[in-house]
Amino acid sequence: MDKQSDFVLRSIEDKGIKFVRLWFTDVLGTLKSISIAPAEVEKAFAEGIGIDGSSIQGFTRAFEADVLARPDASTFQELPWSSGTAATARMFCDIYNPDGQPTYSDPRQVLKRSLQKAADAGFTFFAHPEIEFYLLKSIDPDNLQPVDNAGYFDHVPGGTAHDFRRKAVQMLEDLGIPVEFSHHEIGPGQNEIDLRSADALTMADSIMTFRSVVKEVAIAEGVRATFMPKPFQNYPGSGMHTHLSLFEGEKNAFYEAGAQYQLSKVARGFIAGVLRHASEIALVTNQFSNSYKRLWGGDEAPSFVTWGHNNRSALVRIPIYKPGKSQAARIEYRAMDSATNPYLAFALILSAGLKGIAENLELPDEATHDVWNLTDVERKAFGYESLPHSLADAIKLAEGSELVAEVLGEQAFEYVLSNKREEWQQYRRQITRYELDRHLGN
Amino acid sequence: MAISRSALAKAGFFDLEQSAKNLAELVEHGKASTDSLISELSKAAEPDQVVSGLLMLGRVSEENLKGALTPDYLPEVVKIFGASAGLIEFFCRHPELLKKHASKPAKLLSFSEYCKQLRSTVAGSKGAEAGQLLRKSYREQFAKIASFDLSEQPTIDSLSKVTSALSDLAAAAIEVALEIAKTKISAASASRAKVLDDLAFAVIGMGKLGAGELNYLSDVDLIFVAANSEGQLEGEYFVVAEALAKEVIKILDSPGKEPGLWKVDTALRPEGKSGALVRSVDSHRAYYERWAESWEFQALLKARPIAGDFSLGEKYIEALSPMLWSVSQRDTFVADVQAMRSRVTSNIPSNEVDRQLKLGPGGLRDIEFTIQLLQLVHGRRDESIRAKDTLGGISALTSAGYIGREDAAVFAQDYLVLRLLEHGLQLQNLRRVQVLPTSDRELRHLARVVRLATTSEELLEKWQQTKISVRHLHTRLFYAPLLNASSNIDDSQLELSTEEATARLAAIGFADPNNALTHINALTQGVSRRAAIHRHLLPVLLQWFAEGNNPDLGLLTYRRLSEELGENNWWLRMLRDSHLAAKRLATLVTSSKFITDLLLSIPESAAWLGDDNELTPRSHEALDAEVVATSERYPNSAELATALRTLRRREVLRLAIGFLLQLIDVVQLGDGISAVHASILNGFVSALRRENPLAFTVIAMGRFGGSELGFSSDLDVIYVYDQEDLDEALATERAKTIVSQLGQLTSDPILPLELDSDLRPEGKQGAPVRSLDSYREYYSRWGESWESQALLRARPVAGDEKLATKFVELINVYRYPKQPKPASVKEIRAVKARVESERLPQGADPNRHLKLGRGSLSDVEWLVQLLQFMFSNEHPKLQTTSTLKALSVATEAGLIDSKEANILRRSWRLASSIRSALMLANGRPSDILPIDRNQLEALARILGYPAGSASKLEEFYLATTRKARQVFENNFYALK
Repeated sequence: MDKQSDFVLRSIEDKGIKFVRLWFTDVLGTLKSISIAPAEVEKAFAEGIGIDGSSIQGFTRAFEADVLARPDASTFQELPWSSGTAATARMFCDIYNPDGQPTYSDPRQVLKRSLQKAADAGFTFFAHPEIEFYLLKSIDPDNLQPVDNAGYFDHVPGGTAHDFRRKAVQMLEDLGIPVEFSHHEIGPGQNEIDLRSADALTMADSIMTFRSVVKEVAIAEGVRATFMPKPFQNYPGSGMHTHLSLFEGEKNAFYEAGAQYQLSKVARGFIAGVLRHASEIALVTNQFSNSYKRLWGGDEAPSFVTWGHNNRSALVRIPIYKPGKSQAARIEYRAMDSATNPYLAFALILSAGLKGIAENLELPDEATHDVWNLTDVERKAFGYESLPHSLADAIKLAEGSELVAEVLGEQAFEYVLSNKREEWQQYRRQITRYELDRHLGN
Repeated sequence: MAISRSALAKAGFFDLEQSAKNLAELVEHGKASTDSLISELSKAAEPDQVVSGLLMLGRVSEENLKGALTPDYLPEVVKIFGASAGLIEFFCRHPELLKKHASKPAKLLSFSEYCKQLRSTVAGSKGAEAGQLLRKSYREQFAKIASFDLSEQPTIDSLSKVTSALSDLAAAAIEVALEIAKTKISAASASRAKVLDDLAFAVIGMGKLGAGELNYLSDVDLIFVAANSEGQLEGEYFVVAEALAKEVIKILDSPGKEPGLWKVDTALRPEGKSGALVRSVDSHRAYYERWAESWEFQALLKARPIAGDFSLGEKYIEALSPMLWSVSQRDTFVADVQAMRSRVTSNIPSNEVDRQLKLGPGGLRDIEFTIQLLQLVHGRRDESIRAKDTLGGISALTSAGYIGREDAAVFAQDYLVLRLLEHGLQLQNLRRVQVLPTSDRELRHLARVVRLATTSEELLEKWQQTKISVRHLHTRLFYAPLLNASSNIDDSQLELSTEEATARLAAIGFADPNNALTHINALTQGVSRRAAIHRHLLPVLLQWFAEGNNPDLGLLTYRRLSEELGENNWWLRMLRDSHLAAKRLATLVTSSKFITDLLLSIPESAAWLGDDNELTPRSHEALDAEVVATSERYPNSAELATALRTLRRREVLRLAIGFLLQLIDVVQLGDGISAVHASILNGFVSALRRENPLAFTVIAMGRFGGSELGFSSDLDVIYVYDQEDLDEALATERAKTIVSQLGQLTSDPILPLELDSDLRPEGKQGAPVRSLDSYREYYSRWGESWESQALLRARPVAGDEKLATKFVELINVYRYPKQPKPASVKEIRAVKARVESERLPQGADPNRHLKLGRGSLSDVEWLVQLLQFMFSNEHPKLQTTSTLKALSVATEAGLIDSKEANILRRSWRLASSIRSALMLANGRPSDILPIDRNQLEALARILGYPAGSASKLEEFYLATTRKARQVFENNFYALK
């Protein structure tokens, strides 16, 4: 950290940085930022910057207590959309209590705790997400218009989307976030950008940055980007399918030559654990009432707790193994949407998987069908359970989950629950267009 | 001729049978007679080892064995082989060296002489070959040092000579390794050779090597510094410097025919293992200015240029040492010192803790820590004490008057003993060992090598004494001199200036060292016996205060107690003679304001601390008997009030101390406090009834009824009278008089007591006292379900027993209904829901409210009471006022799952304990788990958590109550 912080202080000088933004994240995954002058940075490293602790609690604030935000020097980056007199850099922060102990409920700390547990078991956790989002002409709810009418992998000549992706990808690369590829998605105006695999903490930071970059670039291009899970009833929602793997040192722990689908025992245990807890952790992986519109919207979102080899209807998909690429062995978790809090979601998925490994859970039978096309009775016969149907379901399942409580820590757990209960209550009061259309005539 | 085994035993052999065989084999090789051989072998630390070593040598080289057995060489061989299996291996690898070794007397050389020796061996060879030769030559010299050591009487002086020779030899090896490395790099590339020409490269020794007090075998701590002629270390210069450092390490410690010397540890460099291996002086300085932690400065204390470019090495020292000496001014110094101190005592595997020479209380590290801490605290002003090595430090601190001469002498002697043990162990196997062996044979070997004892028992005994002495001396050296600061009690004693003393006090955690010094002076001034004993006691107490949560409060309280108790013999005697009592006193006065206040009002209670019997709750009978006797002594109610008030304070204090010292748990606490109050109420009511004859009784309600009181002041009660043959108006009049007098008599400004009768019929609007008939009338006509529920906790505690029995019969009908009505059950559930939303104070976080919060006391109690209300007719054992007892019965009866019951029990006990602990910590009641980290920390310590557990306690409470709430919700609304 010391060399890193030296590097930061030097870079601030060399690049003529005028503002440094300290970023952290509340339990809902909202990015929070405080701006400090370069002269303050050294103090921020040494002592941290005092902030109000309720700022990480989401919109329902339980209590106010002073905490310290201490920047993580390894996350220093100049923000490419700033320049000249406003040259700005950012660093992610860890939150500490005044006594120097990490704040238990800071999402970044939650993930670090889980990663430490994985490290204690000898594992490092890697993730790479495929992030989907819509580009809209504006974010006026009464006038939702995608920027184009193209479809899956369509090339749009001279289109906004193409230019947009080129610029966004360039900016991400400038920020040190490598992009695997990007393409147009199924929905009009819908895009997908895939990030290259990285350790989960770096990736969670990258996802937070990614959302900012995409929104900034969109605005610069005169359009708007949204990560809302399901903005259009008739077009697919924006998921964040995430590829996951565990490494033991340099070795991919998910890979075993000759095993079924090259899945090691560790991988099978991990999947079994994730499947067992998928419904409990849905409150975090799919955190908004709107998330359940995506899960049950009838498009390619997984609604049932299943796994399958290259089965796009399964919750956990095992991608086709490319010979000679043992390092790339991985599983794909398809429930998460683009609006999740990546720190908490990664912490929970990882912990569920580790639990599966530790408890030697048996992997249920593989789903070989297209699960969407089965009837309810057939699914019952095969033992495929469904993910929560609504935010209310998800709250109920999370409330009873020791896993979620333990991983998030009691306080973050409580903040998440109370935020979500409040959201559900507000949502439930809404009178929708659908109801007016149907029932006004009564 | 068979060799007599008793002769072998007499000569100090251990494994007689095996050695007899070996010896017989050996005799065949040599010309000497068996007897003369045995007589020579008897001088060995371990004759068995010499014999087997010689046989091993014989297998390698018959000729050398013959040589070794000749009278000229045998004594030296016996000495070395008997003490070191590792050197036996060395000489078996190089049998030709044995003769050379034994033929010259062992002499210690200087650094430059060692360099010369090593260089001459290496000359003409290069690369790996040179490395082998260097290591071989090193071990040759090493054997000479060992031989010298084994010939000398072990004294502080000889220890210094040996450790300094070992350091010089190690430094010489590094110097020559550096020369070999340079040659290799120059030879490999012309461009690098050019860079090397303009590169100054210095090796700094840290730790024992830097201090010139190296032992036989441990990791050698090094730092590398380099720069070109402009003082820079960039680009190619850095690359070459790094390659050079790596090569040096490789030469010293790479496996080969002649194994590596020791592990080179470079982790003390800036940024530890992730930092650059070599840095310029400027880069080092920049790091220390900005980032270094206190312990890293502490490590600088021992830094010394040992090889390479000495002028560059000196620049490094000059650049960093000013920073080292201002480290005691850092804000974090106190916390850092505590952390360093805990590193001394923690992290030792438990199976080793009793055998650790270096770590652990009374180990080498303890001595080094004490000396270094004194150097860091005082060395800023006083350059004379900045010695690098421990023995030098002790002697400099003594000369400058920071520690007393006698203490210093003992300390140095203890250090010697521990170092000798360490050396003996390391010499045997040439391995890094710090743990005493367990086997008799190995211990005996060690005893004879170090010549401190002859048997393993004696050795262990000696070592135990040393450990105790070291622990004791830490306190003497660090704390005792504080007492003499600016007080001229005794000219022969050394004296610290006020500034020096405050610096020490601040370093150990006193927030207000000046005030602390005033207290210390007040306690120790003068020629009284009391002052003399305080001078003796305070050093230890100060250390304990410093380890407590609030050292300043601890010292202040101790001073006030001592002033109160004056010259009382028992007080000083107890503190002087009972380690336990003094330690307990320190715990109490640094952690609890509640106890401190009460102690000061009843100073004589300090006498209990030395006696566990005094700290166990007194039996109910004993309490009642004392109250009765007191009542007889004081017929006047005002006098009685004073006497019983004292009794109450005393018994509450007893329970508080027992609870804080974890001699009693929260259940015993509840029972004890409730019993004290029942007894004194009984005393008062008896006295008042004598003045106002009337059948009158006090019924305890709530937690008082359940015998679950904590330290808070409210007692829930209701009053009952029976007019019997009295006139109704008169009876009412008398009852009211008793109640109002009872309130007055029981009041206490120091330990407040409030009789709360709000649970009576009609609550605050109702008559303060009712007749039995009035209760009957009320309950039959108006009583509501929640009142029946409240009556579950009703328990007569004072007054007329016959009336009490009648009252209990009356309420049993309501609280243990034969057929609880569904409507009543529903009403209780509804009231609970209303209470949850209404009673919680505005703005309070329900998750942290200990009484009314989520899954805390009231959730558990309401659930238990609902079970009692619904099922106690069916299961009469449920008819108890105790929450936990009812819960057990309900579990046995299968009314609640036993796992769930455990969760409820844990939550109830935890919330109750925290409430009591909060009262103890702050001296005022609180029902909220604090958010403030310091308060949480104080709380955690009272509850017996180790230091630094604030978040842990918080997390545990929140998890426990969350689970309890789930159990509550699963059951409370579902019971049928």
